[in-house]
Parts: sequence; C-alpha cells; structure tokens
Amino acid sequence: MESRPVHFIWILDVSFSMSGEKIGTVNYAIREAIPEMRAVAHDQPSAQLMVRVLTFSATPRWHVATPVPVEQFTWQEVGVDGGTNLGDALKAVARELETPPMPRRALKPVLTLVSDGQPLDEDWREGLKAIDATPWGRKAVRVAIAIGGDADRSVLQEFLANPELPVLDANSPKQLAAAIRWASTAAVKAASQPVVSGDSGSGGKQLAPAYAPPQLDDDDDDDVW
Amino acid sequence: MTVLREEKYWDVLYQSAQGPAKRRNQDSSAVRVTSDGDLVFAVADGHGAPVHPRSHVGSRHAVEVFTASGIEFAVRARAAAGSGPGGFRRLWTDAHDRMPRELVLKWRRQVLGTDGESLGEQPRLYESLRPFGTTLIGVVLTDGLFAAWQLGDGDLVVVDDDGSLTQPLTPARPELGDDTESMCSRRAWQLMRVHCALPGDPGRLPRMVALSTDGLSNSFAERDGFVRFVRDVDRRITAEGPAAVDEALQGWLAQAGRYSGDDTTAVVARNRRTLPPHGGREEED
Repeated sequence: MESRPVHFIWILDVSFSMSGEKIGTVNYAIREAIPEMRAVAHDQPSAQLMVRVLTFSATPRWHVATPVPVEQFTWQEVGVDGGTNLGDALKAVARELETPPMPRRALKPVLTLVSDGQPLDEDWREGLKAIDATPWGRKAVRVAIAIGGDADRSVLQEFLANPELPVLDANSPKQLAAAIRWASTAAVKAASQPVVSGDSGSGGKQLAPAYAPPQLDDDDDDDVW
Repeated sequence: MTVLREEKYWDVLYQSAQGPAKRRNQDSSAVRVTSDGDLVFAVADGHGAPVHPRSHVGSRHAVEVFTASGIEFAVRARAAAGSGPGGFRRLWTDAHDRMPRELVLKWRRQVLGTDGESLGEQPRLYESLRPFGTTLIGVVLTDGLFAAWQLGDGDLVVVDDDGSLTQPLTPARPELGDDTESMCSRRAWQLMRVHCALPGDPGRLPRMVALSTDGLSNSFAERDGFVRFVRDVDRRITAEGPAAVDEALQGWLAQAGRYSGDDTTAVVARNRRTLPPHGGREEED
C-alpha cells in the first residue's frame, strides 16, 4: 500500500523585469513557505507532496527537475536573465503532465504560475493548449500570481481556464509573500478534494472551484510595484 | 463492527472503516435477503468535499433505494425466468433502462423529500442535489441471475468458480485523480454502468462478488495490488472459512484507509454452494 502523489510545480517568471525586490521576495517567500507546505503534507498522510520548479525567461529551465518529496525539498535561490517566453515554459510543463511520466494513480497536480509581465512570444497559447491536451493538465489545480501593475492579468486568467478563479494580485512584497504562502498550502489541500466530473451537478454550469484564493490585504505600508 | 451473515446460499461479510482524518464516515452499505434467498447489496461513497456537506445522508439513501429497488428487480427476474426468451429480453431492458432511471429518481425523492419534478432538469435541481452527492454500486443475485449497477468510482470484482477474476463494470479509462460521476450528476441515469448475466443455473453463479468504495483500491500503489488483495480474500475464505476472514477484514480496511486517506467500505458475498462442505477447511493435497 502507498499514498498517492500530489505533484506541485512552480512556474516562475525570471525575466529581467523581475530583478531587484521582486525576485528577492519570491526567493524569500518560497523558502519561508516550505515549512507550511510540509505541515500540510503532514496533515494529509494519504498524499505524497512532490515539488518541482521551472523558471522561464528567454528559455525555460528546470530549476528542480526531479520531483522532490516536500520533506526533502530545500530552496535554491533563482536569479533573473532575459525575456518572457511563456509558451515554451508551458510546453515543458505539459511534457511532464503526460502519462507517463505522470502516473495514472495520483491526486490532481498543482500548477502555480508567477509572473510580472507580458509574454514576448506571440504563440504562447500553444503552450497552454499543450497543457490542456494532457488529461492531468486539464484536471490540475491552477494558481496564478500577478506581480505588480505591469503583469498581464488576461494571460494569467487564460492560464487559470476558469472565470470563477481570480488571479492573485501581488502589488507589494507583503502581498506576494501572502500569495505564495496561500498557493503553497490551500491549493495543495484543494488537489485532494473529490470533484464531481464533467458539467454535472449544476446543469451545465461549471462547478464553483473547491478552493477560493484569499483577498490580499492592500492596506500596506510597503513599497508598491 | 464487522458483520458476517450466513444466508441460505451466501456468506456475506460487510465492514466499513472511517478515514483517519474524517469527521464522519460518509460511506454506506446495505445487505438484504429475500425469503427466496435472493441477495441484494450495495455500497455508496458520499463525496465528502465541502460542496457536498450532506453526502453521508446521500450515500445512506442511495443504498436504501438500491436494496428496495433491487428486491423488486429480483422478483421481476424470477417471473422473467419462467416466461422464456421474451422474458429475458424484457429483463435485460429492465436492467439497462428502467433500473438506472428508477434508482436516480427514487434517490432524488429521498434526499429532497420531493420528486424534484417541479424543478425540472434545471440548474436549480442540481444545486439542490449537490450537497448529497454520492456514488453507488449495487448487486442483485438470484438463482439464475447476476446483475450489477455502478455510478461513479469504486470497485465490483467477480471471482468465478474457476478462480478467474473480472471487473465487469470498470470503465475502459477510469477517471484520473478523485474526480467521479455522481448520483447528483445531470441525468445521472445515463452515466450508470450495467452488468446483467443470466447464467440460468445456480451452479454457474460467481464464487465471490466483492463491492468496495474507492478508499480500498486507492490505497494500493498498483492496480495489481488490489487484484491480489481480492484474490487473497477469496483464497482465505476457501482455506480458513468466512469467519476467519470476517475477523481480519476490519484491520485490512483500516490499514487501507491510512494510505488512501478515505473511508473504506467493502461487502463480500461468498457463494456457499462452492465452499468445501466441512466448514471452510480445504483438504491438503
């Protein structure tokens, strides 16, 4: 007997526009969220939480390529370089969501996209289509965090593929840290919730998501991006 | 509590273990036997997510509705057996068309306290049903018939007299993750899978029929592990008798729940006509 895996994939924008405080906060917030991720995993012994990290700029790169059990996961800081080519990053994720390498016996994966800008690749939707073409990609719990006022929220909303799910706006270091903390925990819990499949349960209207992102406090004394 | 019932033709073991992190067990099971010896049993798995807060009620109504309708179906099956090939054709249609619709509509009536017809097949109806969302698997065994219905996840496993194992209701491509079809789904009767076999001769009925909620099969790393578990239950009943397996079943289900995190319920019906006559002990070769 064995618990089922929950594959959690960070998809992090590391383009030049992320330099300075933004990338610093991402590094800090993910490192600080690890104990909370472990606590969530501990509370759900029937789920094995496995973490991977993909960064993207001009090209995608697996920062942590092999799924690591959260108990052994440590954060290695990411740096910035180049542009914002989202499509290739999403295609790289899609390849990992095929079965195999994904097992059929698993809980829903969690995909968390963090970005502060607009894709420079005009065909970025091809990457999104590649994810949607995989069975696990269609079922994935998706979280999108928009950093600052320049982030293209429509792109992130398309990534979420559900108009009822809001993009998390992080306009300050404090909000970004809160968003990352939420994605690290609540989204993992949501991945193990049973869901009635198809359009069922509401006569054709898609069911409300089993998880609702928080309203992030904007009454903040920190610098605003 | 483990329950072993020694019916006329069947030993029936049924047991349920609450998931380790669950506030209540949302699974239900029911077993009924007619005076003719027909056996009707079912398991149901209430979805348990926050959007299904009354799913424990939904699962209880699902097994109650099934056993009531299943007994009526068994009566119709006996009548059909005496009316030639036409009777069997009608029974097949009954199993595939009448029963699924009847089960879903009766269940709606039970959980809503109304037939829901005033709501029509509209979103408002499904909003009302959603809190009660549950799966259902049920079996009817008469002298000459083995019929089963399944809506949503869970497992029906059949062991024939030659030891071969089949899962006649398993879809070609099972749902990924914890997604499932449901009694609260839109036009749920269309989603019900049906198995109807008419062996005619009681001697050709299965040796064992096992129903379980997905908390059991989800605890195994590979599907083969679950299949081996069922084979082992069958083998141990043959070798040690149903009472010995009955004693162990509680522990097995509780252990499975620690890995699946889910409530785990199983009903095992073992054909007494295929057991060794000396109470379960198999002769050593």
